[in-house]
Amino acid sequence: MTITVCHLYPDLLNLYGDRGNVMAFTQRCRWRGMPVRIIEVNLGDQVQFEDYDFLFIGGGSDREQGLMAQDMTNRVDNLRRAVDDGLVVLAICGGYQLMGKYYRMPDGNAIPGLGLMEHYTEAGDNRLIGNVVVEAELDGIKTRLVGFENHGGRTILNGTRPLGKVVHGGGNNGSDGTEGARYKNVFCSYLHGPLLPKNPTLTDLLITLSLQRRGRGRLLEPLDDNFEDRANQAMVKKLLGRKA
Amino acid sequence: MNVRLILAVIVARLAMLASRLTGRGRGSSLPGKLALRIYPDILKHYRGQPRKGVIMVTGTNGKTTTNNMLMGILEQAGHKVVANLEGANLMTGVVTAFIRSGSITGRISRDYAALEVDEAVFPLVTSWIKPDMVVVTNFFRDQLDRYGELDTTVKKVLEALKKLSGNVKLILNSDDPLVARLAADSGLPALYYGVLPVQGLSTGASYSREAKFCPLCGAVLHYGIYIYSQLGNYSCPGCGFARPNPDLEASAVLEEGTGGIKAMVRGTEDHWEIRLPVRGIHNLYNALAAFSASLSLGVNPQTALASLGNYLPATGRMESFRYHNRRVLLNLVKNPTGFNRALCALLGDHGAPKQEILIAINDNDADGRDISWLWDVDFEMLALHPEKFSRFVCSGQRAEDMALRLKYAGVPVWMVEIEREYRQAVDQVLNGKGESVGILATYTALWPVEKILSRQAERVKEHDDYSLSSVS
Repeated sequence: MTITVCHLYPDLLNLYGDRGNVMAFTQRCRWRGMPVRIIEVNLGDQVQFEDYDFLFIGGGSDREQGLMAQDMTNRVDNLRRAVDDGLVVLAICGGYQLMGKYYRMPDGNAIPGLGLMEHYTEAGDNRLIGNVVVEAELDGIKTRLVGFENHGGRTILNGTRPLGKVVHGGGNNGSDGTEGARYKNVFCSYLHGPLLPKNPTLTDLLITLSLQRRGRGRLLEPLDDNFEDRANQAMVKKLLGRKA
Repeated sequence: MNVRLILAVIVARLAMLASRLTGRGRGSSLPGKLALRIYPDILKHYRGQPRKGVIMVTGTNGKTTTNNMLMGILEQAGHKVVANLEGANLMTGVVTAFIRSGSITGRISRDYAALEVDEAVFPLVTSWIKPDMVVVTNFFRDQLDRYGELDTTVKKVLEALKKLSGNVKLILNSDDPLVARLAADSGLPALYYGVLPVQGLSTGASYSREAKFCPLCGAVLHYGIYIYSQLGNYSCPGCGFARPNPDLEASAVLEEGTGGIKAMVRGTEDHWEIRLPVRGIHNLYNALAAFSASLSLGVNPQTALASLGNYLPATGRMESFRYHNRRVLLNLVKNPTGFNRALCALLGDHGAPKQEILIAINDNDADGRDISWLWDVDFEMLALHPEKFSRFVCSGQRAEDMALRLKYAGVPVWMVEIEREYRQAVDQVLNGKGESVGILATYTALWPVEKILSRQAERVKEHDDYSLSSVS
């Protein structure tokens, strides 16, 4: 079976190397002998989200973010059906904010989100910028996620489950100690870096969940993660020092 | 007599001396930093002192090269010039340059100031010293964690330009929509330079294009040809904004086997042949910027072309070294567009069957703390030609991240090594199996690597024997 990866708006939302998430997911499938097809979806293209196995949404600068939000609003029912069906989604930064209820601008006006999840976002006074370490338990496996955040919005989860607990950095809002969100098979995070290459545990979970949705629940073949682990460890050590 | 000024100058001069004696640092920023601490208003003393004018070069890539070329031309034409030559382009570097060229009482006797100014501090520097001419090279994505998004950077430069009065002349890259817009938006007079867009010049690297939207009305831009990144001939179907017809336009671009590039340049009334001893179309753009600026300042074109023909690259701008029988190339990398250009150059090296590559990545403030841009670089092109390389050694503070990037680009892991220490990393590539060596380093990794390299390898001034051929 070919795994179908949908990269949403690759021309529009290509900030901060987020395309690396698609590379990581794709390569880790291919290295295990699973063929992958990448579908790039741009503004106005016809899509059927249920047909995909993995959907990636990144973030863009303000103007691009606005265009994406408009286009996605037209597709929201289509996406909701797929998410209810268990579609595996990774949404980063602007994409994360879009999945929630709204983004409130400094002038008080709110841009509506897709409303697929309960979280909402409000503009903060300053940007949260820097390296981040998050402790997460991903379907029973404890792991430390590392990445780089750069966002002005403060996201309040409003009942949604966080992806993990911030050990270093700002996270969702710089105050409640949470980072990211998870709802069904939708994973949201503020972490660039990009997120997946240095966090293979998360990448492999996304692959596993994609396979399970198609009724292929076997364990993934382990890969040599020497470079992945060293890159992850180097950042953990840099930020947490000997505690790590 | 201004005691604080004199004190600031003396302290800065002592710092320059200390840096020279100890061999630590290049003494191009710290002196200015100390001077500014003692006397924050120091730049206003240098305002108006250059007799014929102040030229500022800003933009993302090519500032150092363009400014060095311009300074070379002006000196060849017999002018005395104060310039910040080593890429020290923040307030501190500008202040250091003036102090170095001036007297104890802050007097400088120069015709021109040619200042390379970082695009993010351009508003600050221009609030102290008003330029008579501003050269803008291009706007690419660079160190986003420091500046916010590209849109913001361009807007800041534009706002600063709007505050300058009408007798400022702009020298603009017609092929970059983000640069070309500056004239219409600021209302300042402009001279445009560009390269005739023909299919043969077009290269890949589609991922690091910046301007997909019209900077004036927001519609999606239509491109006939991309030269590289977002440079090319563009037009907006919404408002009619389009690539301006350049006042100076290069055509018949040819990468020469001897490691240079040549082209015909058409002006409004004349045309010339331009020859550069450095490779790459990005350097042609830099030369066009410097050439346009110097013509606009009244320099004889033949004088300018002669100076450009003898241009020697600054540290880490495709600098050549020789180690035993191996050619070593050293190049600064700081953003996806520049990195892709450097990779294209390595791949275009038909003369060297196997190359040892060292990539040193740091994440200090000057490098950009966010290194995610490495994933916007098309390293995949390396994996398509494994036969051209013998090994990739990754070094610097983010050596592991670089190695990981190569792995996911499809470079076999047995070809990739992680060596955080520069000395060992340089030793490995110099003494490896490859017949030539390519070293790519981010800003703060470049200087220590260059120091280690220059102790062991000989700097090559003549480009002919050891240069690469075609870039495409």
